[in-house]
Amino acid sequence: MATTSVGSIDFPQRKASGLRFSDRRRLFLVALAVPAVVYVVLVALWPLAQGIWYSFFDYNLLRGGGRRTFVGLANYAELWTDSTARRALINTFVFTFAAVTLEFAFGLCLALLLWREGRFNRICLAFLLIPVTITPVVVGLIFRALLAVDYGFFGYYLAEWGISGPRGFLASTTAALPVVILIDVWEWTPLVALILLAGLKSLPGDILEAASADGATALQRFRLVVLPLLLPTVFLALVLRVMDAFRVFDTIFVTTGGGPGDTTNSLMVYGVKQGLQFFNIGFASAIGNVAILCIALLCAVFTLLIRRADVKANGQ
Amino acid sequence: MKARTRQIAFERTTLVVILALYLIPVLWLVSTAYKPPREIFSSPPTFTFSPTLFNFERIFQLFDVWQLLKSSIVMSLGTTVLSLLLGVPAGYALARSKSRYAIVVAYFFLAIRTVPIIATLIPFYLMMRDIGLLGTWWAVILINTTLNCAFVTWMMFSYFRALPRDMEEAALTDGCTLWGAFYRVALPTVVPGIIASALFCIMFSWNDFLTPMFLTNSDTKPLSVALLASFGTKDITWGTLGALAHFSTIPIVLMALFLNRYFVQGLTKGVH
Repeated sequence: MATTSVGSIDFPQRKASGLRFSDRRRLFLVALAVPAVVYVVLVALWPLAQGIWYSFFDYNLLRGGGRRTFVGLANYAELWTDSTARRALINTFVFTFAAVTLEFAFGLCLALLLWREGRFNRICLAFLLIPVTITPVVVGLIFRALLAVDYGFFGYYLAEWGISGPRGFLASTTAALPVVILIDVWEWTPLVALILLAGLKSLPGDILEAASADGATALQRFRLVVLPLLLPTVFLALVLRVMDAFRVFDTIFVTTGGGPGDTTNSLMVYGVKQGLQFFNIGFASAIGNVAILCIALLCAVFTLLIRRADVKANGQ
Repeated sequence: MKARTRQIAFERTTLVVILALYLIPVLWLVSTAYKPPREIFSSPPTFTFSPTLFNFERIFQLFDVWQLLKSSIVMSLGTTVLSLLLGVPAGYALARSKSRYAIVVAYFFLAIRTVPIIATLIPFYLMMRDIGLLGTWWAVILINTTLNCAFVTWMMFSYFRALPRDMEEAALTDGCTLWGAFYRVALPTVVPGIIASALFCIMFSWNDFLTPMFLTNSDTKPLSVALLASFGTKDITWGTLGALAHFSTIPIVLMALFLNRYFVQGLTKGVH
């Protein structure tokens, strides 16, 4: 099978195989790509397909001996009628939109501050990597401790001065979601800044010089020259963050566990609870599939928006 | 000239202030580990403390720290090696292929990266339970390799595509084998890409929490899971947690600091 043909490719001097060079090369490349493709199909696509299949069943490991009953689209309908699920869906969108917007705004400012080449900026850059590389569970725990009302570094004073209410921000139904959004912003703004900075540094210097020689002000240079050229990088940073923010799990799970009530519940947190704590496999699979659909949709919208912006800015 | 100096000074001051504010949570975590329990739980919080290694002694009594470290290391290295072995050749093949399906396959790998883990984790959990791998390091390595190998393939695809074909063509004309053109000619020139890929794989699997939380048991769990699982039980204070967090964050932060050139390079090429 495939392996024998790989053997003959390994020794091209042996002309016995009778294949032309271009064919042997094609086979060689296929042989290199096949292991990865097969692996991903078996270990990622196959479970994905199973997940789609399970989502049409009432399938609970803790109930009815784990028997499966076909229920059609009932699990998806429940996603809409179940107020907890609906809240999780809305929360996830709010979280993604707010977190990514703030991360982009702060990240762009940071990147512009760090643009100048030099030792000082390189050292600052290295320190900025710390929040990005710290284990997300630890990030969650740090903020949980800092915001604790009885002894937390911030929490105590916030409660003492009446800013957060006596039980603290993370236990407040109105403030918990903004707080977990801000934790995400703390964690990931440096990443956005790093990507944008890499984009800024790859801009052609002569164009910038020409613009300032033509008497363009700093703001004009930024708006008319830098921003249009930076668009692909902006796109990369936004798509990356939108996808990851939409899948947020660790920090929410650690800080609030989705509470108080359902106020910080996200699709991932709810799906994990349903699937791996209550073993409600059918419903949890439906949640997972909806999450995939939403991410695909967000990516498509982004691609369209960016293409339109690109046409407008660069006239292509 | 003077205005320029003033502007640089202004930029630097702003940066220092931002960084200082930014790193308060990290400094707090580090300092907590050296505080005696009495002072962590003082209300109002105290800012001065008498440093002690008490918390570090405690975590060695409470946890099998070496076993936790071993789990984290085995799982992240296993995932990284497997992902590189699968992903690097695939990235090369897709970059060099003249077929119009190559780009479709490349985008397929990129799409796999974006799949939320919950969608695959539940069926995968049942699968591992059925074949008896639940609770082993293999279960975590196998599922994390899907995402990471997809990531490595895409990243190496961009690195190889940026590499001119001339060198390989020349080597082939000189009688080099196809494998030799890949292994001895193309591969050495993309070493920065491989380092960047490895760095991201290690970071991703070392910090991973969701998959090992459900796929490992008490003997095979990594540091990230122990951190949370132990929290809330008796004898666990913020101090011991801070001390344990040293073990889970310092290796990865140091690695990123020393290799930050590759980190930044990887960010623009691939999709983390």
